[in-house]
Amino acid sequence: MYVYIYDDYLSEGKYNRIIGRVETRLTDLGLSGKIIRLSGIKNIKGTIQSEIRLGAKTIIAVGNNQTINKVIGAMIEADAYGDFQQKTLLGIIPIGDDNSIAESFGIKNENEACNILLARRVEKIDLGLANNYYFLNQVSLNSAGTSLKINDYELEIVNRGKIQIINLLGDKNLSIKPNPHDGLLDLYIKNRKRDETFLRSKKIMINNQKEKLLIDNVLTIDLPAEISVIKNKINIIVGKDRLFE
Amino acid sequence: MFGKDNKLEKIKDAETIIGASIKVKGNFQGQGNIIIEGSLEGSVKTDAHIYIGDQAKIVANIDAKDAIINGEVRGNIKAKNYLAVGGTARVFGDLQYGELSIEKGAVVNGQLLSISDEGKRGEKHHKEESAVEQQ
Repeated sequence: MYVYIYDDYLSEGKYNRIIGRVETRLTDLGLSGKIIRLSGIKNIKGTIQSEIRLGAKTIIAVGNNQTINKVIGAMIEADAYGDFQQKTLLGIIPIGDDNSIAESFGIKNENEACNILLARRVEKIDLGLANNYYFLNQVSLNSAGTSLKINDYELEIVNRGKIQIINLLGDKNLSIKPNPHDGLLDLYIKNRKRDETFLRSKKIMINNQKEKLLIDNVLTIDLPAEISVIKNKINIIVGKDRLFE
Repeated sequence: MFGKDNKLEKIKDAETIIGASIKVKGNFQGQGNIIIEGSLEGSVKTDAHIYIGDQAKIVANIDAKDAIINGEVRGNIKAKNYLAVGGTARVFGDLQYGELSIEKGAVVNGQLLSISDEGKRGEKHHKEESAVEQQ
């Protein structure tokens, strides 16, 4: 059974035609299912968990990066994510802007997304964990004044720039190619002098007295934070043109 | 692996890159190629290649398969295979190497010890001891 989760912003009139086109295409492909609109729901986690218990085999996030983050957070609750839920697939239909995660999975637009759902190419993907918050793509913060502890060593960053701890590549212009199957996080630091630092680790402790940590460009959390990765945590339906091997 | 300027050619060749603005403290261990352009205090070890940039400041012992040194190193360097000391390098420590090249302009304050010679000497010494025991 397919369950489609529509994000709040899709209730805006400008998306009516796109949504209509997607629904028609899904019906034609025999992929129609239950539609849940987040605009009328306060307890997203409870709603999605309930659908999984009722037998949903595929949960499809319809929206953008934020939608995917919300749906994953709701699907995977540390205590409740048992074997049964691990068999539930996550699909993505990107609509509007800010859809770098879908692009990483080789899903360029809503039409292609429908075909990809039909093709059902499934990959197990690592999930990042920042304290108690899951992330698929990356966490980031400004670099000045940040200290990082990895295994037996510490990194101190003096200059201004950006720190990204990446699970899944969201920006194809980056010179690194993170792999969401390797059980490792890619730490990438770039400052204004175009000075680059790059290394891989399973766990990174991060602290900054002034900054907060931005998770998947959706929410911010206080520091210090422990960033780790859980290998093959979620099954995702991907396109053949995905940006990783 | 190494280009004309003796630097690891592309970012994809290196598992780890420490940029010029980064200070590392502690024991840094890797299995892939490492490029260090910043500063490091502690120790650094890899089973592969290490490249120390000309602006880098290292206060650590270095242990690698191949090492190319262009910056300042205060500590001992061991390169089991090949050790190249560039013209901008300043090394204050002992060098242990399989093969060695030192470019004009480099400053080296320490002992030079060939691992192959050391191995041969150890082997010869062992044979002499065996001969004495047989007598």
